[in-house]
Amino acid sequence: MVRLFFFEFRKHFMKKSLVIAIICFSLLNIAKIYSEYHEKSLLSSSANPEWQELYWNEIYEQFKGVMTDKKIETLMSIYKPLEQQTADKTASTETNNPNTYTGNLYNDHLFFKWNFVDPMEYAYMYKQYANDVVKTANENVSFFESLGNDYEYKKNKIILNRFQGRSIDSFSYTEMFQYYIHYDFSAFLVILICLYALMSVFVTEKETEMNVLLLTTKAGGQKTIFAKLFSASVFVIAISFWFGLIDFIAFASFFGSLEALFSPIYAIENFANTALDINLGEYALLSLVVKTIGFLIVSYLFLFISLFFKNALLPFIINMFFMFGFIYFQEAYMGSEQIIFKVINPFSLVVHRDLFGGTEFVNLFGFPILSYTAAILLGVIWGGIFLLAIFIFQRKNTIYRIGVKKRVDKVV
Amino acid sequence: MKVSFEGISKKYKGKWALKDFSSNLEYGIYGLLGENGAGKTTLINIFVGILKSDQGRVLINGRDVEKIGIDFLSHIGYLPQYPQFYKEFTVLEFLKYMSVLKGIPKEQGEKRAKELLSMVNLSEAKDMKVGALSGGMRQRVGIAQAMLNDPDILILDEPTAGLDPQERIRFRNLITKFSQNRIVLLATHIVSDIEHVANQVILLKNGELLKQGAPQKLTDEIKGKVWSITVTDDSLEEMLHLKISSMMRDDQGIHLRVIADEKPADHAVHVKPNLEDVFLYYSSEGEKW
Ligand SMILES: Nc1ncnc2c1ncn2[C@@H]1O[C@H](COP(=O)(O)OP(=O)(O)O)[C@@H](O)[C@H]1O
Ligand SMILES: [Mg+2]
Repeated sequence: MVRLFFFEFRKHFMKKSLVIAIICFSLLNIAKIYSEYHEKSLLSSSANPEWQELYWNEIYEQFKGVMTDKKIETLMSIYKPLEQQTADKTASTETNNPNTYTGNLYNDHLFFKWNFVDPMEYAYMYKQYANDVVKTANENVSFFESLGNDYEYKKNKIILNRFQGRSIDSFSYTEMFQYYIHYDFSAFLVILICLYALMSVFVTEKETEMNVLLLTTKAGGQKTIFAKLFSASVFVIAISFWFGLIDFIAFASFFGSLEALFSPIYAIENFANTALDINLGEYALLSLVVKTIGFLIVSYLFLFISLFFKNALLPFIINMFFMFGFIYFQEAYMGSEQIIFKVINPFSLVVHRDLFGGTEFVNLFGFPILSYTAAILLGVIWGGIFLLAIFIFQRKNTIYRIGVKKRVDKVV
Repeated sequence: MKVSFEGISKKYKGKWALKDFSSNLEYGIYGLLGENGAGKTTLINIFVGILKSDQGRVLINGRDVEKIGIDFLSHIGYLPQYPQFYKEFTVLEFLKYMSVLKGIPKEQGEKRAKELLSMVNLSEAKDMKVGALSGGMRQRVGIAQAMLNDPDILILDEPTAGLDPQERIRFRNLITKFSQNRIVLLATHIVSDIEHVANQVILLKNGELLKQGAPQKLTDEIKGKVWSITVTDDSLEEMLHLKISSMMRDDQGIHLRVIADEKPADHAVHVKPNLEDVFLYYSSEGEKW
């Protein structure tokens, strides 16, 4: 079985064309992350040339880590005057003022506002925010308990538990994770590669008429289908992790920092309402795993569709159509209240910010289930259905085989 | 080893691809001869178990193949019609893969693969990609693949299709080499493929068995029914209603090889029948000119 798997893997995935595609897409991905950095980072050389040095060499050292009253006082003693001086827009606009950090007062003001004051304020205030959430949830718990509304009661209980005791005590540089978390381009590349690679898994046998020969060998039936699905899964997982690795390393090196690795996930503003209580490093890993599950499910669908064709082109196009369908469907329900339409889409696992960014529930037989749990559960069910369908239809497709009960009258 | 086909029939959309086919095979090379569409591939597919027959059964040493089940597969080696295999695999890799599929242990499979490669004269080409092979080389890989499990029955479906004359001869010799102690069933529509190598010929036409026997016996049976007539261009026209198996022109005129129960013309003389004549004799209509 191990050797069968190896040969199956060799047959479909160790092809020159595929290796070239993977290399090209990897480079494309790195280039895209590079441009992402230049476009979005406040500290990129193309945005504010002098900010980067100022940030890393002088200011960040002073304020990073646990936020003490002293640090906040110091920051305010720098920032308050800047704010006043720039408030009425009458300050000097010259760009080589020696009494400033960046050469210009307005620039100084923005530098401190965007890089330190705003993010530190968010971090500082988060404790209060979480407290308010807990307070409301607490009230709701009593309220719904008195009403006898079990579902809402449980729901608020969960919110209560998840938000209790949250605070962001340390300030750290989060830009890298901010954009890493919001980066989807590599997912698109992974899907394209999988789509391209997987189309040959079943179709090749028909194209080369090897399906006939396979069925006259002992391991050419069910075992080969197993080997195909297993090697396809290994490939998808490997590709997903490969691009996950590239993403992480490229983001870390272009942004030049892993500072926020141990900051809580809600240190990223878009995740203020997340139900997760893990740090950003853990989230990066979780995110990759969930994404991979999403890729696997979509891949099984691709494989299933390809069963019905004798060449790779048509199923490629049809699957592409499916893929854009999923994406459209997902965009349509992004941020919507119709949680069920979010979680039922297998693509929601691939681009899953919407699931993890908030605390939303799906009602499952009267039990409130967190939307991401529901999505993973449904995803696993989808995957199971597709796999089962592959087995059933591949057997129907296969010509009758000696020693197998099912007999079908057609040479495919 | 004895293979019996008992009343095998297969119908496609109301048309018989194979009709009540019965035959017994023991040792040696069996040439399954029939024109395109005669039902050769249908018969072979039913035999190797990838197609279900409508009626009839196949017995191995008296046991129904259905009852033997999947173990039957270890008795057969099969080369399908128009095989392409996997372009990206090297020759040796492909043979190793086929041994895995056939459930042959690793060392044994590799040893066997190398032996066979040397037998089919492909040792040099073992690291070539299958996609880069010539037609003849690919067919030799195909037969090596079929021989991996040392089968009792070797089944070859049109193995010489697309080969040039030299490759064809080489391939024929190879088949003879491999036929020792086993049954070889070789389907073809080319008489010369089997004329000098088959121990038995099975003539198939429109899904029906016309005749089975040793080539010598079959040619003996139509002794006296093959004629040679020499005609001129002017008198050629009146001969064209006959079953003509060949025509050759030289400075004495046009020599016709004619198959007929009765003497077709006054100046016709007997010639020794060959297998081609047998094939033509049993085909109901001759070549229409
Ligand atoms: N899958 C099929 N569907 C319909 N007709 C078929 C099919 N396969 C074979 N036939 C028909 O059965 C007959 C025998 O075909 P085949 O066994 O391939 O002949 P041969 O191998 O001798 O050339 C032909 O008339 C062919 O058209
Ligand atoms: Mg055929």
